[in-house]
Amino acid sequence: MFGKYKPLLGEKTQLKSSYDVVIIGGGLHSLATAYFLAKEHGITDVAIIEKNYIGFGGAGRNTAIVRANQRTQYNVPLYKEALDLWPVLTKDLDYNLMFNNCGNLNLMHSEAAMKAARMTIATAQFHGVESHLLDAKEAKELVPALNISEDITFPIHGAMFHPPGGIVRHDAVVWGLAKGASKYGVEIHQQTEATAVNTKNGKIVSVETSRGTINTSKVLISAGGYSASLIYGMLGIKLPISVLTIQAMVTQPLKPLLNHVVSSGAYHCYANQTLKGEIATGAHMDQWPNYTTQTTAHYIKHQAEALSEFLPCLRGLRFMRIWSGLADMTPDMAPILDGNDQIEGFFMNCGWGYFGFKSCTVAGKYMAEFMAKGEAPDMIKPFNLRRYEQHKLMGETAELVTYTPNN
Amino acid sequence: MINRINQLPTLRVDPANKVIFDYKGKDYVGVEGDTVATALYHNGVRIFGRSLKYHRPRGLYSLDGECSNTCMEIDGIPNVRTENTLVKQGMRVKEQNVKGSAENDMMGFIDKLDWMMPAGFYYKTMHKPASIWPIAMKQIRKAAGLGVLSPDFEMPGKFDQIFPSADVVVIGGGPAGMNAALAAADKGLRVIIMESRPWLGGFFDYRTFDYKDAQYKNSKPLYSRARELASKVESHANIRVFKHTSVVGTYTNNLVTGFQIGTENDKFNERYIEIRAKSVVVAAGCIERPLLFENNERPGVMQVACVHRLARTYGLLAGEKAIFSVGHDLGLEAAVDLFDLGMKILCVADVREDGQNPYLMIELAKRNIPYLKGWVASKAHGSKRVNKVTMTTLDGTISRDFECDLVIASAGLTPINGHLTLAHAKLRYDSHTNFFVADTMPEKTHAAGRMLGLEDSLSIEVSGKLAGLNAALDCKLMPQSYGNTEIDALKSEIDSFTAQSKELPGPARGSKFVTAPVKGRKSFICFDEDTTIKNIKQAIDMGFDVPELIKRFTSAGTGPGQGGIPGHNLPLYVAKYTAASSKCFSSSGSSSIQSLGATPKPTNVRPPLVPTLIATYAGSKHIMMKRTPMDEMQRADGGVFRKIGVWERARYFSDDFSCRKEIENVRNNVGMLDGSTLGKFRIHGPDALKVLQRVYVSDMSKVKTGRVKYSAMCNDDGCVIDDGVVVKLAENDYYFTTSTARAGATIEWLRYHTRFDGWDFYVVNLTDSMGVINLSGPNARKVLQKVVSQDNGASGEDASNKASIQDVSNEAFPFSGYKEFMIKNTIPVKAMRLGFVGELSYELHVPSSYMVSLWNIVKEAGKEFNIQNFGVEAQNVLRMEKCHIILGQESEQRTNLLDLGLGFLWDRSKKDAKTIGAVALRQAENDPTRFRLVGFEMENNGRAARDGALIVDDKVRGYVCTARDSFSLNKAVGMALVESHLAKVGTRIQIFEDECGGERIYGTVVPMPFYDPDGKRMKS
Repeated sequence: MFGKYKPLLGEKTQLKSSYDVVIIGGGLHSLATAYFLAKEHGITDVAIIEKNYIGFGGAGRNTAIVRANQRTQYNVPLYKEALDLWPVLTKDLDYNLMFNNCGNLNLMHSEAAMKAARMTIATAQFHGVESHLLDAKEAKELVPALNISEDITFPIHGAMFHPPGGIVRHDAVVWGLAKGASKYGVEIHQQTEATAVNTKNGKIVSVETSRGTINTSKVLISAGGYSASLIYGMLGIKLPISVLTIQAMVTQPLKPLLNHVVSSGAYHCYANQTLKGEIATGAHMDQWPNYTTQTTAHYIKHQAEALSEFLPCLRGLRFMRIWSGLADMTPDMAPILDGNDQIEGFFMNCGWGYFGFKSCTVAGKYMAEFMAKGEAPDMIKPFNLRRYEQHKLMGETAELVTYTPNN
Repeated sequence: MINRINQLPTLRVDPANKVIFDYKGKDYVGVEGDTVATALYHNGVRIFGRSLKYHRPRGLYSLDGECSNTCMEIDGIPNVRTENTLVKQGMRVKEQNVKGSAENDMMGFIDKLDWMMPAGFYYKTMHKPASIWPIAMKQIRKAAGLGVLSPDFEMPGKFDQIFPSADVVVIGGGPAGMNAALAAADKGLRVIIMESRPWLGGFFDYRTFDYKDAQYKNSKPLYSRARELASKVESHANIRVFKHTSVVGTYTNNLVTGFQIGTENDKFNERYIEIRAKSVVVAAGCIERPLLFENNERPGVMQVACVHRLARTYGLLAGEKAIFSVGHDLGLEAAVDLFDLGMKILCVADVREDGQNPYLMIELAKRNIPYLKGWVASKAHGSKRVNKVTMTTLDGTISRDFECDLVIASAGLTPINGHLTLAHAKLRYDSHTNFFVADTMPEKTHAAGRMLGLEDSLSIEVSGKLAGLNAALDCKLMPQSYGNTEIDALKSEIDSFTAQSKELPGPARGSKFVTAPVKGRKSFICFDEDTTIKNIKQAIDMGFDVPELIKRFTSAGTGPGQGGIPGHNLPLYVAKYTAASSKCFSSSGSSSIQSLGATPKPTNVRPPLVPTLIATYAGSKHIMMKRTPMDEMQRADGGVFRKIGVWERARYFSDDFSCRKEIENVRNNVGMLDGSTLGKFRIHGPDALKVLQRVYVSDMSKVKTGRVKYSAMCNDDGCVIDDGVVVKLAENDYYFTTSTARAGATIEWLRYHTRFDGWDFYVVNLTDSMGVINLSGPNARKVLQKVVSQDNGASGEDASNKASIQDVSNEAFPFSGYKEFMIKNTIPVKAMRLGFVGELSYELHVPSSYMVSLWNIVKEAGKEFNIQNFGVEAQNVLRMEKCHIILGQESEQRTNLLDLGLGFLWDRSKKDAKTIGAVALRQAENDPTRFRLVGFEMENNGRAARDGALIVDDKVRGYVCTARDSFSLNKAVGMALVESHLAKVGTRIQIFEDECGGERIYGTVVPMPFYDPDGKRMKS
């Protein structure tokens, strides 16, 4: 029934001295880019260089939520396409990505939040994405565990319900894309560190790694939280990115209790139940930039306090594990997808903050097109780096982002 | 029901005190001190639940809660570890994850289907065709998970939290921990010791071994020694003892978190404890490393300490005929002791070639207990509980079956390293102890005791003492204390104990043994996730060669017990198997990993180290919001409050949320609003003006005494982050207001943006110390006049001065004017003439302590006009009609000063000031692609569009910021941010609302403001 246990990524190969494309970072965005480069554009002479192992960073640390109810017209179509890709990839990769299309319920706790929700819902509906405003009662019908009484810190006024979203098994995406890419001949070199990117006359010429030099004319850095420091360290391009620690945790496994993803901006908290039955929950970041993946005592306590209020039955549940990862935050909460600008043959895909998982496949798809054709596809043009020097932020969040003192 | 041995000196239960509890609807009897699991065991319960995946029967295994075997539902709370939860009168206990009962589970057949479920099988199945996935997913969800929680479950009990501080925190109340605590406390330091069991004593507590000679004789048994130490610790004035307290997290800078289970006498069921210590001693001891063989988790298979403690601590003999298969001396010791307590020991198999304690060998021989060196259990038989075990030689060539009801199995010991690794100790594999040991220790953290591999009781105690002294040194060794004689004495004491410890036996050699010579189809490396040796092999063959990845792929170690069961075995097995397979080594004949040369790599340990209730983490959390001085009165007046930012504010004063009465009263009469939440600051010092020039876009040198200046602050992108007014009190002395939301961030903003200038200035946040009354409406002046003329006590020159101060006529106190009054000779008021709501309006700023008094004075003065409260929403509509913006409502992150039509505030000539945002504003000046704020009214007297509706054509072109049906204007008006080509007056805009189904509504751009465009009402 299952055949032999063959290595998922094919047999390990020697690092060659040249590749058409070198991708630094073995996370989801890199794997997706490599997969689409090979599948859609026939570029198979690709090496992925990963310092640890694939899926070490954000790919394995996110809470696997996917949705397309973003705020602006630049983002909604992008994330919509990403949502549409899960079933397609499950089939194409022949790997069960376990898309649990359970829908997302965003709680609103004030009149102001209801206004913000209306705008987001109108934007979604305008772009053909299903999303509705519910009152508190309707929200409780969807999630009976909700506390809609008035006696909590932030009483629930209503909610935004977005049925097309849900949860995808994040590890499956890592392994599925890796399997898919290797099938086309993409080489994934784990435990290999990229140490430098060399240029000549404004063009990419090679990449230095812990296992030798690779000649190449095209390099993509998409290394999640580490991208900004790599890009600055290797090429001197300064990015307006602050790297912050973001934490998530799971409870002990439980029979089905939550049938939708529930999130609350006011409480800085979201929760969903994984297919294994754990309640996965996480939220906002610690507000000080850093490159560690340390968890903090106050955070898990905050989470418990928040859940105790709006999902009070969870008080009888136990936290089992908390972990953290890095979020590379831009001032406008929108990513930087750019290339061939300051250096010919250099591409970057970073700044996703905590939206990196839900966007990985579609970002990979368009970055692959960008790298293959040399010209940014319309879909990702707005996400160029120069918008920051023109002081034209993208408005993906309504509020000013205040995680560093300098914005 | 089995008999309890009631006379043991080591007992921790009181057989005289019965506890009656409910198990599956029937009354069961335990005794005080029993855990739920021991009480059930006493009553003959052997199968406590069924496993997650295969629904295998599971029973008591470790007594320390390292796996979910004995997790049950208690009083509606799922997944309670019954083996370390004390039984209480009236408890209701139920089995979990069973269809039928744990004894007869209808899902038990799944155990036979394991061949269908190799490692990661779900990634490869159930997706073809796509239509079956949603159906399969439903079944997966139903099958997954252990306990059940009702959505309307209300957690009973009280939960508390404390944040004590300590010089030294000792984690672990065993012999090493107690010695450490005493050593540090004797040096005058404040010590906290935390022990997860309800008593101090650790692994001395249940042992009758002689504590000095490591022999089995009764001169002074270990348990006596433990009690001796415990009484010293508990009576020491400098030591605070937290028993029944599990440490769940250790963080940098010695932050330790844990939770305590309350006793009958405590006011809490559980409480969260968070301690910041100067130094930490970790003496957490060891747990046992499971032995891997076929059916190694069958009820009746138990670890050594489990059986030993059941007997010695609870007085229960776990079985009648036992087989031992062990790899350490504690196993031999237990065999001897249990034999003496009446258990029949069929044989003791030991995987070690040598290194056994000779005294123990003699004791075994004395009792004629057969001893099989180089043998191991390879398979437990019996469908629901053990009735037979196959023993084999290590090479698997010779086997023999024994009929028995108890298999006591333990491959070795493993240190509890979690406390160290969470604090960022790096682990190294030590081939002598076969432990992961901390290579680099976190700062001011010390390890002691058995977790270092020490077995000799004196060695353990001395290591504890040393750790305690070193912790004391951490606390005393402050920069100023160098050369201190106390420090020198402490150091030489440490030296002498170090020397002493070198005389004593060091770490003992540990067993490397992992698995019996079997294929491993039902040899469980992780009980919680039903992960077998075979699954691990499959994962490795698929290219997952790092333990951390194998953990992800096979789920081993991700269940309720986390790494408790597989934490040590998984890395050992992976090292062994990868080394073997890379050399094409055929079978698992040899069990030594060292001979194959691969170094085991540990998997990550994460907090909480013990699963912790969300209720416990939440503790006694209570809501903390700021309230204004008027809070109580406003509530009494019928205010409907909302939490807005950090404040609770009166948003409405009736249940008509359109606020018609409040609005009309301000437009036609006079109203008062509590504006105390405004940010209020004083900035003074030689460079105060320079700071204002930097942060405000206007030229602040033009602020005149006696006048109020409205201005805005931008960020580097030119986007407006704040607006407010500035008053000049004196040269380089200003009073200014910020929006409510920005109050907290303002001082940081000022400091940050002047950090390289070395300017001399002071900022004081007066937000909480000043209250604000907003008095607005056509009758506002009359009210104010009455308020200021209440005090007629002065005479002469003073009086004429007073008269001019008290003149609030339009000429004496015009729009944008500023005045200071003293009301009733007592209340100092800073008064500003503003017009946010578009009427004649005053803002009275007054010290918070006088706020209520002044409010009453104003209210009293306004009585004849029938003055009324108005709330935040009424203000919102009033100011919207006047097109005064509220940041965050008419602006968003990307809205700059020019977009809002506030460009007139910007003074572009003050280049030297380096005004924040000026560069971006210059860039934006000629940018046609930016949004503009416009006013619009609805077509054909339509209703107001909803806030947040989109302005569209074939694309999104903007959105509605605020729109209302205006009672004052008798039409629906609003403000919107739109692309600049739509900003011209007269432009028709299409509005797309949520749920409009494509049906758009229309408005027209009109001039702003809508209400009183000339500002006559505001200014006269």
